[in-house]
Amino acid sequence: MKPFDFIQPKTTGSAVSALAEHSPDVRILNGGTDYLVELKHAAKSPGVVVDISRLQDLKGIGITNEGLRIGAGVTHTEIMVDPLIKEHAPAMIDAAHTVGAVQTRNLGTLGGNLVTCVPSMDSGPTLLALDAKVTILGSKGSRQSDLKEFFVAPRKTSLEPDELLLEIIVPKINLGKPASFIKFGLRKGQALALVNTASALWIEENKFKDVRIALGAVAPVVIRAFKAEALLEGEPVSEELIQEAAEIAVGEAKPINDFRASKDYRNDLIEVGVRRTLQAALANSNIKS
Amino acid sequence: MTDVTLTVNGEVKTASVPPETTLLKLLREDLNYTGAKLGCDVGDCGACTVLVDGLAVNACLMLAGQAEGKEILTIEGLSTQEKYHPIQKAFEDVAALQCGFCGPGMIMATKALIDQDQDLTRQEIKDALSGNLCRCTGYIKIIEGVIDAYQEIMGKKLPETKPRIA
Repeated sequence: MKPFDFIQPKTTGSAVSALAEHSPDVRILNGGTDYLVELKHAAKSPGVVVDISRLQDLKGIGITNEGLRIGAGVTHTEIMVDPLIKEHAPAMIDAAHTVGAVQTRNLGTLGGNLVTCVPSMDSGPTLLALDAKVTILGSKGSRQSDLKEFFVAPRKTSLEPDELLLEIIVPKINLGKPASFIKFGLRKGQALALVNTASALWIEENKFKDVRIALGAVAPVVIRAFKAEALLEGEPVSEELIQEAAEIAVGEAKPINDFRASKDYRNDLIEVGVRRTLQAALANSNIKS
Repeated sequence: MTDVTLTVNGEVKTASVPPETTLLKLLREDLNYTGAKLGCDVGDCGACTVLVDGLAVNACLMLAGQAEGKEILTIEGLSTQEKYHPIQKAFEDVAALQCGFCGPGMIMATKALIDQDQDLTRQEIKDALSGNLCRCTGYIKIIEGVIDAYQEIMGKKLPETKPRIA
């Protein structure tokens, strides 16, 4: 790694002040499982690296007026063992479990996974399917945004240079919403997703309601399959319709050919992933009712 | 320079290092704990696994400054010249390792797993070691070593254990 100045602010306020002061020659470090790898390969380091791994405001998982609040600095391991997440958004546990390996999950954070904004991120689809919101803190105050708007392009979020991601919120109305996450990789451990998928839905009077389908690794950012969702909305539950939605979802994605998998194979995986996550979310809703 | 004070294997250590120094480099080059190995240096191979406050982490992916005040356990903290830790004994008994380069990481990841004091299955053991690569063995004897160590330390059998490969 090339030399840089290292700042460890004690509060989120001083962290964003440091960002504003040193912008644009500054970067944030938390778990480091992605950014330190990038720094090791980089020809040049930023002038200043701000370590936010000790900020208490970024820790903790709790229920607030808004819903389930997860600090951006919560690690994937912490998500996997948290009773509130298990109760209110268990699909997040399945997603967290597919991130890297134990060592990665012990350091890597939920916020880091989202901010990195790679198309194959494992945390994105489930949170998108649960209509998650993010709270962003900047030197001029805080703002909230839908997670959907947060993802802009590969490795680019809506964060301004003086802003950091503070927390992720699963809205109250979606707590306990039946959901499911699936990831297809080349191996079970330490694999990037070829395709990952999450679905969430309510069933009311045997009809689909508020269906959400999210797809990862098949477009520049994690996306929703709006046409597939619309096909199911308000319709009576049926296997045939789930299959049809899965086929429609394929047309909404733009997967690439690369050394991990072909475009055609990824398209097949999208269909399977959407079908299976819808079926699993449906099964979860049957258990609850 | 970044000043760091941390505990390594029960001993308080201090150092002053450039900010870009990783915990691994601090351990190996400044504090002379060379048990943790530098393998891939990007968090894929697990050869640098140490425990930080009881959790297995890749020491190559943590800056020394981030380890300020933390308790670090390395392979050197497990045993003395006279007496092996039960995990090391189990690995030796089944000849789990060949070249041994992955050994300190494998053993520390195993220590973190068994320290959780939970009932385990073979699949959970494989999952817990999926961040540690071994290019010699094919893993079967390593898993056998972990199972033996688990049974020795916990005093109970693994629920489902496939027949051994001789």
